[in-house]
Amino acid sequence: MQDFTIQSGFTRRDALKSLATGFGYTALAAMCAQQQARAADSNPLVVRPPHFKARAKRVIFMFMQGGPSQVDTFDYKPQLEKDDGKPAPRQDVGGDRVWLKSPWKFAQHGESGLWISELFPHLAKQADHLCLLNGMHADTPNHAPATVQWHTGSTNFVRPSVGSWVLYGLGTENQEMPGFITVNPSNAFGGAQNYGSAFLPAPYQGTRIGGSGTSMQKVTLSHIANKRWSPDVQRRQLDLVQTLNKQRLAADGVNGDLEGIIESYELAFRMQGAAPKLMDISDETQATLNAYGINDKATDNFGRQCLLARRFVEAGVRFIEITKDDWDQHESLKQKHADNCKATDKPMAALIADLHQRGLLDETLLVWGGEFGRTPGTTNTRSKSDGRDHNADGFSMWMAGGGVKGGFRYGATDEHGYGAIENKMHIHDLHATILHLLGLDHEKLTYHYAGRDFRLTDVHGHVAKEIIA
Amino acid sequence: MTTGSAIDGRIYLVILAVLISAKNPSFVVAAEAKPDKAAVEFFEAKVRPVLVKHCYECHSEKSKIVQANLYVDTRDGLLRGGDSGPAVVPGDVQSGTLLEALRFETVEMPPKGKLPDDVIADFAKWIEKGAVDPRDGKAPTVATIDFEAGRKHWAFQQPKIVPPAATTDKSWARNDVDRYVLAKLEAEGLAPVADADCEQLLRRLSFELTGLPPTPEEQQTFAADGSPHAVEKVVDRLLASPHFGERFGRHWLDVARYAESCGKERNIPYRIAWRYRDYVIDAFNNDLPYDQFVREQLAGELLPDNAQVSDAERNRRLIGTGFLVIGPKSLTERNPEQYTLDVCDEQLDTTCRAFLASTAGCARCHDHKFDPIPQTDYYALAGIFRSTENVPGVKSLLRITSYPDAMPLDGPQKSRSLELQKLIAEWQKKLTDAENFNRQANKSKDPQMKAEATQRIADVQAKLLELRNEAESDEHGPRFAMAVRDGKPKDYELRIRGEVDNLGPVVPRGLLTVLTNENTPKIGPQESGRLQLAQWIASRDNPLTARVMVNRVWSHLFGRGLVESTDNFGLLGDKPSHPELLDYLALRFMDEGWSVKRLVREIVLSRTFQMSSRVDRGAFAQDPDNRNLWRFTPQRLEAEALRDSLLFAAGRLTLERPYASTSLSLTNLELGSSAKILAADESPRVRSVYLPMLRGNVPETLSLFDMADPSLVTGKREVTIVAPQALFLMNSTFVGDQARYFAERLLASSDFDDAGRLELAYRLTLSRPPTDAERTATLDFLQTRKKEIGGATTAAREAWISVCQALFATGEFRYVR
Repeated sequence: MQDFTIQSGFTRRDALKSLATGFGYTALAAMCAQQQARAADSNPLVVRPPHFKARAKRVIFMFMQGGPSQVDTFDYKPQLEKDDGKPAPRQDVGGDRVWLKSPWKFAQHGESGLWISELFPHLAKQADHLCLLNGMHADTPNHAPATVQWHTGSTNFVRPSVGSWVLYGLGTENQEMPGFITVNPSNAFGGAQNYGSAFLPAPYQGTRIGGSGTSMQKVTLSHIANKRWSPDVQRRQLDLVQTLNKQRLAADGVNGDLEGIIESYELAFRMQGAAPKLMDISDETQATLNAYGINDKATDNFGRQCLLARRFVEAGVRFIEITKDDWDQHESLKQKHADNCKATDKPMAALIADLHQRGLLDETLLVWGGEFGRTPGTTNTRSKSDGRDHNADGFSMWMAGGGVKGGFRYGATDEHGYGAIENKMHIHDLHATILHLLGLDHEKLTYHYAGRDFRLTDVHGHVAKEIIA
Repeated sequence: MTTGSAIDGRIYLVILAVLISAKNPSFVVAAEAKPDKAAVEFFEAKVRPVLVKHCYECHSEKSKIVQANLYVDTRDGLLRGGDSGPAVVPGDVQSGTLLEALRFETVEMPPKGKLPDDVIADFAKWIEKGAVDPRDGKAPTVATIDFEAGRKHWAFQQPKIVPPAATTDKSWARNDVDRYVLAKLEAEGLAPVADADCEQLLRRLSFELTGLPPTPEEQQTFAADGSPHAVEKVVDRLLASPHFGERFGRHWLDVARYAESCGKERNIPYRIAWRYRDYVIDAFNNDLPYDQFVREQLAGELLPDNAQVSDAERNRRLIGTGFLVIGPKSLTERNPEQYTLDVCDEQLDTTCRAFLASTAGCARCHDHKFDPIPQTDYYALAGIFRSTENVPGVKSLLRITSYPDAMPLDGPQKSRSLELQKLIAEWQKKLTDAENFNRQANKSKDPQMKAEATQRIADVQAKLLELRNEAESDEHGPRFAMAVRDGKPKDYELRIRGEVDNLGPVVPRGLLTVLTNENTPKIGPQESGRLQLAQWIASRDNPLTARVMVNRVWSHLFGRGLVESTDNFGLLGDKPSHPELLDYLALRFMDEGWSVKRLVREIVLSRTFQMSSRVDRGAFAQDPDNRNLWRFTPQRLEAEALRDSLLFAAGRLTLERPYASTSLSLTNLELGSSAKILAADESPRVRSVYLPMLRGNVPETLSLFDMADPSLVTGKREVTIVAPQALFLMNSTFVGDQARYFAERLLASSDFDDAGRLELAYRLTLSRPPTDAERTATLDFLQTRKKEIGGATTAAREAWISVCQALFATGEFRYVR
């Protein structure tokens, strides 16, 4: 039945070489040169140089699923306070909602005097590290497509996640850990698509730790150790597996999934050594744990995520995403936004301070935000005035470290905080800017697939050079 | 309003109903006819200036932002009205939002302050006299839906036969499926690769049709069968196997978002949901015609011939309606109206996605943004679900710890069963008494009495739970099903922007306008409309139903649908790669009595399905995704098939269906650690389809390999390849145990030498013998390990365990190709 010849000790490089001659070099050459070069690396995760000098080496994405309200956090709107209770226009669905002033007070912080609401007392102390992006906008005010757009640039097509693009572009420094880790992501709103590699090779996929609703106290990497065999014996067993896999790959010629599986075993084997130590926070001082709010019920979960993020950063993980969900306050804004901010404020502030103190902030880009913001008007007049609707036309995010200006505010919404009007920044622009800070040209980071070169930013994206320090 | 225009028939009816109810219907005509001069003058003097001055800023074509979709700068705009309904109903001062707003009765307009009473009186007078308004012109249409244009979308057109183009290669095609595929391939300048070898083909057929690998005996029989009908024989054997239903049933359970708990913030078990699971498996095994399968799941208890069929058959149909009630529910929702609307929404969304691949559920708050589905269509459908009562066996409030609201099934019972049934009825009465006593106690405010009442309720509930558990675990006992029944049929109000307390006009119960015609069944005033909904979906006239199902089947067999977006055939969905083939299959499916087995048979007997998975570099460069089907795309085994294969190789898989589900052991309380323990229990040897499927507690062996999230309609699962899967296969106790059993099984027979054992091991894992290179590599490893360990028996065992696990870990084990 075998329609191929097996050569033992056949490497992937050999396979590609022989295929190049066997199937006609022109067909192979027709595939993108860059892609070929990457495929020829025996390890797709090896560190690759950026296109130009990078400002940031790695990224921590802090995803606030559900859509935090900009006018209650980082976008101070005195006019909204004045117009409280007056009819609020909203073009997309019409309606008789009214303006709703923020229940929280704003004040200026740091030498820069950034306006930050009282919901973030700890973060406010780091104001001079923050680069507020007040003119964000996205394409759709629906959770699922907006979440997918935040992560992949596309609302409706299956496209690689931004973390996968970064890994594809730069590889990763620590070969003993996944280069792209996402902690406690949601199953819904696109699910695995948000950390998937789509048409990029499988090793660029994000590795999930925990899942939505998982208590971080209980999050471990399952099956991280083998009870039966020593690492040496297991390594030789794995060698057998990989020999069999590579024979199969040689026979198949092209098999992206199998390449992904081969890589997944190598990574898994290396992780066995590195991950348990990295995820065990018992070597942290009590002062550090306290700073991150760990063991305090309100902040424990996100505190642990932030601390893990710092540990991953130190270990050289390229792209880390952490998640706080439940920001969708159509009602109970006062209670739940306060809870959410409390859960995240102290840990985030600690993360910035900790990275700064360790000299890692300059080379680590922090990005905070939800898939969209909320309306400065009520969800509707009749459900009492304690909630806000989805709003993709104008919202706020922030960055810190990684070569962005600290104590800086970029972009603005209209007088009520509804639509972005000045230095508007679309999700595509955000992605272009993140890649730029990492030393990647978003127009040149392409992958040839199904007859065309794909980019994270599709045909869009504008780098916000003004925010770069 | 001319008949036959492209306006929404239902909106038309709503407006007409409002107009007829007006006091003086003749004004309807007056408004359309030439207005009299005095009336026009009154309008120009008293009405127009006020509208211009106070309203145009926010309610005219020139407004920067139009509020509430209301335009008052044309007659048309006033009559049509905005989000809250018509602004003016000529001749009827009681209706219309304009006067209400001016009077500050509902909303307060204009926002800057109430107008003088005499101005408002002028408006009333003007409306009373027929609201004569000379301002012609159409108000800008705010995303009005054009159904004629909407019907032109490919999926809303009736499927029709378009014969495949003639092909140059006259010998390749084996059946019509091949003729369509080859025509497309040749048009694209591609050619099919060679046929799969017999080992791969048998493995492919076995997994695709039953989710199980072929046994070594089956492999030998197939290889030795030289007859031209060898493949057909295998296919017919697999189709007749009870495992076909387990395989295709599980596919459907993904779509039906099957689970055994309600999920959400308070997760309560659905202890009897497994009846629906078994119903689905049986339906596929018995090749229940798909149209009947649709009717049963939506309206099984309403079917016209129910009186003529046996108890068992009637029960079966009733269980089918479990489809509607097994969805995720927020049992703690405090607003009952919100709860009801959310449940209806979930049922509507699932029904439309599952059977019609329609995202009609998106029209809850506004007209569908992309598809020709107005918000009124949503509420027409929602009215059907609102007129239906759910008896899911859990109450929306957590106080009831049992399931008095489940549907009892009919049928003769054994004596203990009859006794139990009587006892349950008695204790049910005692519960009512206890609840009455509790009410009195609450009124009395006597703490002692209150404590007693609480205790009494708890005792009765505990007893009831005990009785029901006994009854439910007896296969012949009185049984209950999660089901639905018709409630009080009624039309309900549209909810403006989907807001629970923001009532719009009443919308008569009905179906999706874009898919209805004169043959569509009519809903009588005394019925929910669920039967009509079922009949309309399960009809040849519905252009979506058959297409959606044949596409699902294709997607399962090939790893990708002819329409890639299996759950969305709307305007944002993908276009079919082979539209003529899709139509051919849909029509043939219906002509063949909606038989899923015949459909599967035709597809798997095509040469298209039986192609090799080999890569042709030229074709790969042109079409890496294999959209044109130039080869068979290798498929990762689904989580269930992977787990079953591990147990199969280990000789540990029980092929019999277990009775009920282990989730029956859970108490009817919020899930806690008991559910986690249940989900983590790796000891059951049953097929994976029978593992407990609790929302938020999916067994890890399944969730690691992309098992469908049981809260979402999933036509196509994701495929991830990540390090945690590798860790699971390398290190987990479960896989380690199976490797041990597997090794012991291989060593149990002294007839074999190591080479013979290795061949058997390969056949049990990869469904083929090893190649020479594989044999050499594996036996070398085995001998080295044996030497290292020393001591014959232990060495052999340990070394073989290592080899067995290595085979589980190969990429090929995880794939059909």
